Amino acid sequence: MYEGESSMSSSMNSLDQCHSTVGESPAQKARVAGLAQVGVTGQRYYRGLDDVADTGAFRDWLEREFPEGASRLLESSRRTFLKLMGASVALAGAATLPGCRRPDHKIYSFSRNVPEEIIPGKSLYYATSLYLPGGRVESVLCETHEGRPTKIEGNPLHPGNQGKTSPWAQAAILSLYDPDRLKDPVYTKLDASPRSWADFAAWLQGEDFKKLEASQGAGLAIVVDKRRSPTRSAVKGRLLERFPKAMWVAYDPTETDEVVQGAMIAFGKPVREVLHLEKADVVVSLDRDFLFDDPGMVRNTRGFSARRQVLGVNSAMSRLYVFESGFSVTGAKADHRVALPPSHIPAAAVAIARRVLDQVGAKGAPPLRDALKRAEASLPSAVKIDEAFIDAVAKDLLMDESGASRATKTVLVAGPTQPAVVHALCHAVNAALGNIDNTVTFRPMSQDEGSSGIAGLRALTQALNDGKVSTLVTIGVNPVYDAPADLNFAQAMSKASVRIAADLEETETVRAARWRLPLAHDLESWGDLESLEGVVCAQQPMIAPLYGAKSDIEILALLTGAKLDEADGHELVQATWRDHPARGRQPVETFWKRALNSGILATLDRSPMNSAQVGMNLVDSVSRMSMNAVMGQNVDVVFTVGMVGDGSLNNNAWLQELPDPLTKIVWDNVAVMNKATAARFGLEQELETNKVQHARMCRLTVGDKSVDVPAWVAPGVADNTVLVHVGYGRSSIGSVGEGTGFNVFPIAGVNTGSGKSSRRVAFGATLARGGGSKDVPEWYAISTTQQHGSMEGRAIVREVDLPAWRAFGDKIETNLDAYRQERKLVFAERLGELAHAPANVNAYINPQRGTKDAPTQDGTGPNTTGEHGSAAWGKTNVDSTGKTRAPDFATGPQWGMSIDLTTCTGCSACTIACQAENNIPVVGKIETRKGREMHWIRVDRYYAGEGSGGVDAGSAMFQPVACVHCENAPCETVCPVNATVHGPEGINYMVYNRCIGTRYCANNCPYKVRRFNFFDYGVKKLNGEYIGESTLEAVGADPANVNLIPPRLRQRLDEISKLGMNPNVTVRSRGVMEKCTYCIQRINEARVEVKLKNLPMIPDGFVQTACQQACPADAIVFGDLLDTKNVYPTPDGKQRTGSLVRSLRDHGRSYLLLGFLNTRPRTTYLAGIRNPNPALVSAERKKLWENPFGHGHEGGHEGHDHEGGHGGEGHGSQQHGLLNGSHNGSHRTNQFDPSRAVADSGYRLSLGVLS
Amino acid sequence: MLLGMVLGGLTLVIGLVWYYFTPKYWRVGYMPTQPIAGFSHAIHAGKLGMDCRYCHSHIEHSPEANIPSVSTCMGCHAEGHVNDQLYARKANVQGIRDAWMAGVRFDEVKSLMNEGKAEEAEAKLVSYEKDKLALIEGGASLAWRRVHKVPDYVRNFPHHVHINAGVSCYSCHGNIMEQPIVHQVQPLSMSWCLECHANPTPHLVPKEKVTDLFWVRQQLEDRGNQPYSGQANNPLDVASPGGATLLKALEEKPLHILPQNCGACHY
Repeated sequence: MYEGESSMSSSMNSLDQCHSTVGESPAQKARVAGLAQVGVTGQRYYRGLDDVADTGAFRDWLEREFPEGASRLLESSRRTFLKLMGASVALAGAATLPGCRRPDHKIYSFSRNVPEEIIPGKSLYYATSLYLPGGRVESVLCETHEGRPTKIEGNPLHPGNQGKTSPWAQAAILSLYDPDRLKDPVYTKLDASPRSWADFAAWLQGEDFKKLEASQGAGLAIVVDKRRSPTRSAVKGRLLERFPKAMWVAYDPTETDEVVQGAMIAFGKPVREVLHLEKADVVVSLDRDFLFDDPGMVRNTRGFSARRQVLGVNSAMSRLYVFESGFSVTGAKADHRVALPPSHIPAAAVAIARRVLDQVGAKGAPPLRDALKRAEASLPSAVKIDEAFIDAVAKDLLMDESGASRATKTVLVAGPTQPAVVHALCHAVNAALGNIDNTVTFRPMSQDEGSSGIAGLRALTQALNDGKVSTLVTIGVNPVYDAPADLNFAQAMSKASVRIAADLEETETVRAARWRLPLAHDLESWGDLESLEGVVCAQQPMIAPLYGAKSDIEILALLTGAKLDEADGHELVQATWRDHPARGRQPVETFWKRALNSGILATLDRSPMNSAQVGMNLVDSVSRMSMNAVMGQNVDVVFTVGMVGDGSLNNNAWLQELPDPLTKIVWDNVAVMNKATAARFGLEQELETNKVQHARMCRLTVGDKSVDVPAWVAPGVADNTVLVHVGYGRSSIGSVGEGTGFNVFPIAGVNTGSGKSSRRVAFGATLARGGGSKDVPEWYAISTTQQHGSMEGRAIVREVDLPAWRAFGDKIETNLDAYRQERKLVFAERLGELAHAPANVNAYINPQRGTKDAPTQDGTGPNTTGEHGSAAWGKTNVDSTGKTRAPDFATGPQWGMSIDLTTCTGCSACTIACQAENNIPVVGKIETRKGREMHWIRVDRYYAGEGSGGVDAGSAMFQPVACVHCENAPCETVCPVNATVHGPEGINYMVYNRCIGTRYCANNCPYKVRRFNFFDYGVKKLNGEYIGESTLEAVGADPANVNLIPPRLRQRLDEISKLGMNPNVTVRSRGVMEKCTYCIQRINEARVEVKLKNLPMIPDGFVQTACQQACPADAIVFGDLLDTKNVYPTPDGKQRTGSLVRSLRDHGRSYLLLGFLNTRPRTTYLAGIRNPNPALVSAERKKLWENPFGHGHEGGHEGHDHEGGHGGEGHGSQQHGLLNGSHNGSHRTNQFDPSRAVADSGYRLSLGVLS
Repeated sequence: MLLGMVLGGLTLVIGLVWYYFTPKYWRVGYMPTQPIAGFSHAIHAGKLGMDCRYCHSHIEHSPEANIPSVSTCMGCHAEGHVNDQLYARKANVQGIRDAWMAGVRFDEVKSLMNEGKAEEAEAKLVSYEKDKLALIEGGASLAWRRVHKVPDYVRNFPHHVHINAGVSCYSCHGNIMEQPIVHQVQPLSMSWCLECHANPTPHLVPKEKVTDLFWVRQQLEDRGNQPYSGQANNPLDVASPGGATLLKALEEKPLHILPQNCGACHY
């Protein structure tokens, strides 16, 4: 079947190719190139560079739902496989024959100790907190089922995340149940047999530590992570009391000293910056990805999106300028984005600072302005900063368009790639603008946090090499893997005779240690963690340590000489807080119980800043600033933190398979660069004929250290800049992580002598072709979800500029369609195809409603406008005989969802929340490459604009797409076994036990949101007994990369991972289709609760879908579309009537995805809005503000000639207004590909729907 | 002739499959042996008239009907607590006591250890080992065999909502108060579920009578397929005074319409 399809689509494509290259002017060709479409802002939206390249192979690949080989094992292996399968079936038959009875299902009773709070069948939520890589601390609620943690939600009482989570917090559940975790302490000096903690404690009382005690700890070195924990500080104090001469290093592999040093220059003390973006009108980011790769990711996203919820036409909206090296999530949300290499960005900082301080620097030190002027004058010629652009940014920071001062309402932030002086300049500008203590506040740093981890590591290595360290203890850190290569830490470590390492998995450092200790997961430990905002969050165990592991404070307490039962996390934490001033006058018990209940122990004082003192030391620093801007044959390498964090989350399959927000690459890291850079260094990306994308290996060299990474070409990256994620290329962690990607830590922070490179950026690196050796091939297969399920050339994402929304947002257009029927279109609907398409008329009687859905507006429905007008919800379902028929959409909750493209940052927290909630399996790199990823909600990324570089760096839009629950669902009509049917509340059900796996539904789904279990991904992993080594080789699995073997062949049967499954959702088996259910298990649970409470209806907000609950931007809203009368309190103390989702459904920005197909989805999207600075907008773009709809003025539709639109011939003709797009001489958005309309009969037919 | 044979054979096969390949044939009557052989619902729920909720304590607020903990059993069956002659012969409840005592012994030895009486503890351990007596922290658990089970692709049968709606235990579990060893009485098939969801009134009883199984049986037998009409305030009884009004009120609460769609159970 698939072969047939492939030949058909390729023949269609060859025709297509032929016609699109013959007989057209170059201009026309350029306009219609590939699948690119022109959006309403006049920018072209496309999904990737290949999209624009429009190669034949690419098209061929794109147009098939599942790339080649998707439905079969490789031929060579099929026969063996079947043979082996046959044998196993026979065996299984013999084994189960005597068991021709029901399998014994046991129910185990509680015995003597009955936990008071556990009710079997009901979940319980406990507040706790998580320490995540990169200094992230999240206060969370953990859902437990009969004592098993299954799902993480944000803690609504925490002021920072306010009930939301990051993708990393969501994935913590999977790390907890990682089967590769260390199981027992092991002392490899004797043998590798498991030992007990008692053995370890006894050993600590022995010779080695007696000697250390005698020497006051000289020779002892302890390396820990950088968590801020009062209890750990207390234990550290006790430890250093016992061993005063011990060396203590707090180390985070992704930290950079520049941030702390910047604060030192500006304020003279180490302080931590906390952003309050909800108060900021203008945000300027200098290479800081504050919405994603940032310790305050959740808090910043919440604050930022709060200022971007444009609900009324006059709603205020903040403006974001981003100067950045690569394409980041923050850059995608920017209103103005400038791509600059990281070494050029200080020039922008100086230029902005000088202009701002010139205006408001009356009180400020004139020497600073002079220093800035000198620095600006001495810029290297390579650095090109657009003066007019900087002028406009500086002016925007000072005053708004009406000339009113913006004091205290702006913020300038610098990222980790920037040197300390840029951070200090940002503080100076913020101080001058009065932003400090308004949009940005500061918290005092603890000693550990303020110290330089990398300097500590260097000193430690030196001491190790000098033989001054005899005992090395590492807890939760992995310097053997992530230290810069010039340290050669592994070799230095071997010089310590006693090496103790504790971690979750068997990491590189653990492997190099003598004592290997299992470290408890955060969900198994007692503790306290200070979050970014200075709120100390309680940490309590959700489950007893699965493998008898101990937490960091417990291990440290053991080192202080405590006995095994004294070193108890609960005792240690309580001891810290028993006499803590935050307790006030509360009794200890009350304080403790409240803290565990709310998850919050105390809120620490913030550090008030004296704005006036800022800048005293700055003059000196600015004067000494030297700008060695990258140019020519060198590149700047930026080290970014992606989905797997600093590498400690590398064994987490959910995170490995979560596509990177921009590149959409899974299971690997790549060196991202722009096309010009790739061309300059001979690293063009090519598509091989087998449709699997391959990347050319490149070699990045910093100093004399180099690494090989696959090169990846992406738009929007600055010239001579390479971005690469750290945290991949683990050589020892577990079966998931080992062998994925490439380790770039060795070149991060290499001391090249100039002292300017940090752990997050390497200046002046060299880039060349790499690979070619036996171990590293020249080409490397990359798995990306980028093009999967592409939706061709239609107004999928819609976006306008704020002035256009202001002018037209509340206007509803009434016009006549081709049938002379009156219809109403809201703002966003007028932006898309529907403005030109006639209303839908059903040729057949709708079996659900018994009528032809004539587009008459009877006015009885709740919404009579446009696309929504033909929706069935709210209408009684009466058939032609007058009988009410099921499903009746007139009553009950009618579920709907709204997704706001303005606020969505593409962080993918929704995807992973859905994965955790709905037991969605991971499929591995090879399967993803075949298009078999299982995510129910994917986040599509559309690049916008050409991105010519400089101030025009292009932009991107994100669009989460899950099943939209069509009322007129195409999947339902083609299912031969009624496995997908419609419910009375508007949910498109997927009945797994009916599904026979024809996959017709997936073929017929225009949104491509249905996922098929090609193998038993979720239920079991074939344990390899009857699939020998030869089979593995035959399917092309790399035996060295266990993790890259398709799950069906993976050898490990993860009993332990079953504990993490949500018991309220079926685990799907092979051959079953699945898709988003609107979290029906949560709806049903809520319905039961409401019935028991005897409420008349489910109140708004009572049901939250998993994606909605996780979304830090609040972009997803779910609820009852019929709820119009109930009054709900709002957070600001006011009241609103009706459900939130209803108000968004009726909203002017609301549109339906592919609404013209008459699928009538229940999920609607809110069109994106950008807020560009009018001073920086081209005249052409400004024209669109006056006419964003790309056609004549309002009401101009009545006159349109849609007649004869069904004849068929007219569609292909270039004269048709819809296709050649030249209405009234104004800018016309071209949604369709005229060349295809000529050549492709199927395409032409599909246009018949439209006109 | 041949055609007749083929047709006949076909009919026979279809008929056999029709009848025998049903939960009604395969599942009804399933009666596994239980770990505590002497435990009898006929005695506890029948003869003694204990309320179902004494042991299955969470049925009113949890989807799952929990089974009692060992400590619930020991509430009556602790040695010397009740008259063994009256309540249970010793041998029959020995399994419960063993499970309980495993935890008692553990605590005993542990407290001896904590008091520093290691020798005494050791001696205890030796004697327990000699007598083959187990020590288990928190006591041993009893492995009851599940009798009523819906298929894996049916997400939990919510007991609480059915109990609160007035569906008696009797409707699904049958004359459990007369069964010495519990067996399955109803097929628990989808059509059986839907039958009730289409017309629940014959199975509805006043909430306070839900666990009064003898009364319920009498009622259901007496009224045949008719709804219960004894209670004036039974909201689902159209015949009762005010019933019609209440029914109308209920209809306006669409949530209370019994789901008959796939998504109610399969997700």
